[in-house]
Amino acid sequence: MPHVDLTIEICGMSGDGTIAAGALLNGALSRAGFSLMAFDSYPAEIRGFGRCVTRTRVGVEEMVALTSETHVLISLDDEQSLSRIPFLARSATVFFDNRPPSYVPEGQSIAAHVEPHITLLGIPFGNLAAEATGTTRGRNLTALGAFAGAFDLPSEPFHEVIRKKFDPKGEKVAQANIKSFDAGVQYAREKLDPSIRGILSLPQKTMEKDDRELLSGNMAIARGALDAGLKLYFGYPITPATPIMEYLAKVLPERGGRLLQMEDEISSIGAVLGSFYAGSRAMTATSGPGLSLMTELITHGVMAEIPAVIIDAQRGGPATGLPTKSEQSDLHAAVFGGPGDSARIVIAPTNVSECYEYTVKSFQLAEKYQTPVIVLTDFFLDNRVENVSMPHAAPEEISDGNVYPDPALKGHYRRFERTESGISPRSIPGMEGFIFTTTGLEHTEKGIPDYAPQNHMQMSEKRHRKITGALAELPVPKEFSQKESLDVGVIAWGSTFGSALEAVRKAEKKGIRAGALKITSIFPYHADSIRGFMERCGEILIPELNYEGQLANLIGHLFGKEVTRLNRVTGEPFPASIILKKIESLVT
Amino acid sequence: MKTSGRILAEKVSKIKNSDVFSIRSHNLPTWCPGCGYFGIHQGLNNAIQRLELPHHKTVTVSGIGCAGRYPFFANTYGLHTVHGRALPVATGVKLANPDLTVFAVGGDGDGLGIGGGHIPHIARRDIDVTYLLFDNSIYGLTKGQPSPSSPTGFKTKASPYGTTEAPLNATLMALSYGATFVARLFAGDPDAITDAIVEGIQHKGFSFFHIYSTCVTFDKQFKTWDHLHEWVHPLSDEHDPTNLKQAMNEALEDHFSLGILYRRQKE
Amino acid sequence: MPGPHFVVIGNGPAGNEAALTLREKAPDARVTIITRNLGGSYRPHLIPEFIAGNIPEKGLFAVTPDTYTEKNIKFRHGQRVVDLDPEKKTLTLDHKEVIPFDGVIIAVGGMPRIPEYLKVFEHSMLTLKTMEDARRWISTLAETDSVLLIGGDLTSLAVTKALLSLGKKIYFMLTEHAFWPLRPDEALFAEVSDRLACKGVDVISGKTLEGLASTSENSFIVRFDDRRELEVGMIGAFFGLAPDIGFLRRSGIRMDRGLLVDEYLCTGFEGVYATGDCAQIYHPELRDYWVSIGYANAEVLGRTAANNLLGGKDQTAVAAESIFEAEGINVNTSWWMEF
Repeated sequence: MPHVDLTIEICGMSGDGTIAAGALLNGALSRAGFSLMAFDSYPAEIRGFGRCVTRTRVGVEEMVALTSETHVLISLDDEQSLSRIPFLARSATVFFDNRPPSYVPEGQSIAAHVEPHITLLGIPFGNLAAEATGTTRGRNLTALGAFAGAFDLPSEPFHEVIRKKFDPKGEKVAQANIKSFDAGVQYAREKLDPSIRGILSLPQKTMEKDDRELLSGNMAIARGALDAGLKLYFGYPITPATPIMEYLAKVLPERGGRLLQMEDEISSIGAVLGSFYAGSRAMTATSGPGLSLMTELITHGVMAEIPAVIIDAQRGGPATGLPTKSEQSDLHAAVFGGPGDSARIVIAPTNVSECYEYTVKSFQLAEKYQTPVIVLTDFFLDNRVENVSMPHAAPEEISDGNVYPDPALKGHYRRFERTESGISPRSIPGMEGFIFTTTGLEHTEKGIPDYAPQNHMQMSEKRHRKITGALAELPVPKEFSQKESLDVGVIAWGSTFGSALEAVRKAEKKGIRAGALKITSIFPYHADSIRGFMERCGEILIPELNYEGQLANLIGHLFGKEVTRLNRVTGEPFPASIILKKIESLVT
Repeated sequence: MKTSGRILAEKVSKIKNSDVFSIRSHNLPTWCPGCGYFGIHQGLNNAIQRLELPHHKTVTVSGIGCAGRYPFFANTYGLHTVHGRALPVATGVKLANPDLTVFAVGGDGDGLGIGGGHIPHIARRDIDVTYLLFDNSIYGLTKGQPSPSSPTGFKTKASPYGTTEAPLNATLMALSYGATFVARLFAGDPDAITDAIVEGIQHKGFSFFHIYSTCVTFDKQFKTWDHLHEWVHPLSDEHDPTNLKQAMNEALEDHFSLGILYRRQKE
Repeated sequence: MPGPHFVVIGNGPAGNEAALTLREKAPDARVTIITRNLGGSYRPHLIPEFIAGNIPEKGLFAVTPDTYTEKNIKFRHGQRVVDLDPEKKTLTLDHKEVIPFDGVIIAVGGMPRIPEYLKVFEHSMLTLKTMEDARRWISTLAETDSVLLIGGDLTSLAVTKALLSLGKKIYFMLTEHAFWPLRPDEALFAEVSDRLACKGVDVISGKTLEGLASTSENSFIVRFDDRRELEVGMIGAFFGLAPDIGFLRRSGIRMDRGLLVDEYLCTGFEGVYATGDCAQIYHPELRDYWVSIGYANAEVLGRTAANNLLGGKDQTAVAAESIFEAEGINVNTSWWMEF
């Protein structure tokens, strides 16, 4: 099977239809049977004057990370595209509009800036679109068509996605867009030097088309929650979690549920706790600043042993931080945030499929272990799109996780009974004979506030034993290696794991004995598994998108000596190449 | 002939065998003797009994403070949550299971201070929760600091020179937030509380109860039993509870007229 | 203060040498070399050897794009100059980028020409100048055994040699435009004919082409005025090069067939020079213009233009009669010819 691994970027100014073109490209490539991962950059401010860049990595094998290099750049606005030039691979191809509406001074065309080894293809996007449809509006699609034509991609998948997007707006609109696209294809096929085109040809689709769907991390989370039987959502707008709320706002009512945009994050988590207390699954999604507001009620949930599901979509911090940049710096807050010994469950998916799976899982975990469960994602994971086989939750994964009291206990019920597992069966309002009051005060087994020394010791021990017991059901660390004894073990979490895996695979190809360990249960963590992996490694490298090395702080002590930290807070996804360089430096 | 002791014993036995106390939990209230909250407690309990609300289908949600202790003393499901957040939690409970009768209780510090930001929103959402705001104009549990409803010049350990802020008017606030049922009551008249709460429970929507009380331990100057008995009086018979403007005017001009000030007609 | 901006248009032997010289002699200047072709500077005279398979493609290139990068010369290939204003000192690229310069050297060379009367058959004939042409020749030659060469410039002689080494059957139609731009005299004509015939080439002279039809992709039937018909696999046209200066027609630069320059290669506009195949150079002694042919000359002219742009006063050392060798024949080249 021919190897395909191409990164395509479309770059333009807001208003150029950059993001729309990127979405159509992703849809078409997915339909054509390729595997892809895509991630867009938008202007941060609402007025949105600024650069838009779509990035799509497309290939035959499963994509686990983005590349640092771009192989194809489609420039819808040369001035904006200049910023992408440093990332062009040596053999890259750049498409640009060689008939701009007016003359430009030296240096304002991208042609002035590309290195000679770049293939520069000038295509009159605007003129072609105008000829085909009477307006230059479709020039973004013409540019896409030029790319498709130059790379010998079939037009059908593109036509399908264009129709799917524009048919709701009417046949005329759909047709105009198809014409714009076709104009680009035709020009590329007829006018571009065949010798160049020949070199660029992608093989036709090489994978069987299955039921793959383009899904972002956020959408996977929303779908997971719905499939798990979510009935109530309480949330507050915050980047990058808002799309979850907006999607559920539309779909929940259709399924008989309800969504309330609350007045703040505090009331959001309050309502989620109230809902679970009363026996109904609820969820809230937020980011760092919102998580910090929720802290008090989260620790209340821990003490009062009330379930909750909280999605923390991490972004640049601290405080308001960098709302549209990716980071993994809420680990400390999620695991330790809040006064007292308030251990709770924290899990972190590493890709879109896991976003779905872990969201589904979190409801059962929350119910069974009667605790808030925090699912940590990050801006990159939330907003990136992968084409995944449509996930489906099995019935046993979404069934009621609550442990109910034995009916025989009616009238003698002790809500916080110290059991062997630490899980005290809980009743739900409506159950006769099992009335109780929860409280954030330390309490007896019956739930009466109590400050006696022995009681606090025992209840603390019970609560922690309960959480530790969840280890048996939490996803275990997964190793990716080919050798028993490794020179470098890379341990990573969240979206950074994909980059780590890619780096490790490249290192292996270079003959380095490297391996990767994926950690998705942040707390409690599987200390024995992790230690077992570490013992087989000469060095341990922990790359993270945070400054303080938060995972390293958590598990670093399990290693016999100092772990090697690799910290990065540039706001961009962790480049695999940087991890690879570090691996190499550790073995020389 | 029955001795007085015997008569008393019979009365007690009768009461014990009735289900009047069934609403009370086994925990004795921790309020100070003479606290106005006993009156509110009695008023609410009687309302629940009168409506024959199943105790296991009743949920009381509270914040932090003396008033917040309420759920422990009631034989209902209870949620003693954190300071100021009873209303959102109550929202979650009610939406999760609309068959439950949900009460939210809290003091003036809990409700008008830290929790003040939640009242407008549960009111505008008109969630079917009954909220009792026990207003004794002081932070009692933490031993006597001024609260958002304390009068200007109120002297406490935390305000030795007297407070400088103007007090909030909880009834007026609730009305301006769009609450669809607003009543103002007094802990010294449990029966009136019972009557009003019965109506509030039956009202399909958010019902707000602003209930004046004393703090016998820490407030010897403002809301004492003597003062309150002197100040309070019933709403005039001409008061039209369906007229919002009139209700707001009433709340603004007269802080101690008691009764159901406003009740929105449901279509 | 940024240095001056010097631009060279064309990266054949003349343009390439001009750019390298400018870079060497003016280290602080910005140097840009623009060509509409793709790829580094190749040696056109080696193309016949290349199609014969005697040298690899890599061996054709004197300079690769990386060389320009290393020497800090901005290399804009695949970009075409469509306009030049010698007074404003700006040039405009095809994609509407306007580039100001302090000095420009025009070294666009020439493109193969097909005389008017044969233009009707243009699509069936292959010319040979660019790398693209060369690749097309190679792939076509792989499918055919017989070749008809029409015309007879210097390149055609080198191509004949190459095709003979590949074992192809060659027909050579010498026309009066043979050895253009040289004026052939009868003796020369005859000598060339003989030499070709000696090598096994079928020489056709004194005839005109009347018809040409393609019977299939690599098969043509050619008809001469004497009714003789010939079946061949491919046809090559070799009528010399016409300076490729059409884009300068409105610029104000004086031109005849090529750009007219003085003995220092200057067009008359300060800072605007032309060199190589596209220039007609004034010879003070002859008081007429002459054209240079051959890559060695081109390289020298490129260097000269660069030196003069930087303030030098070099003249190309060309005697009134200049002599060069082609296939063992001495040829006079000093006279410009009407064609």
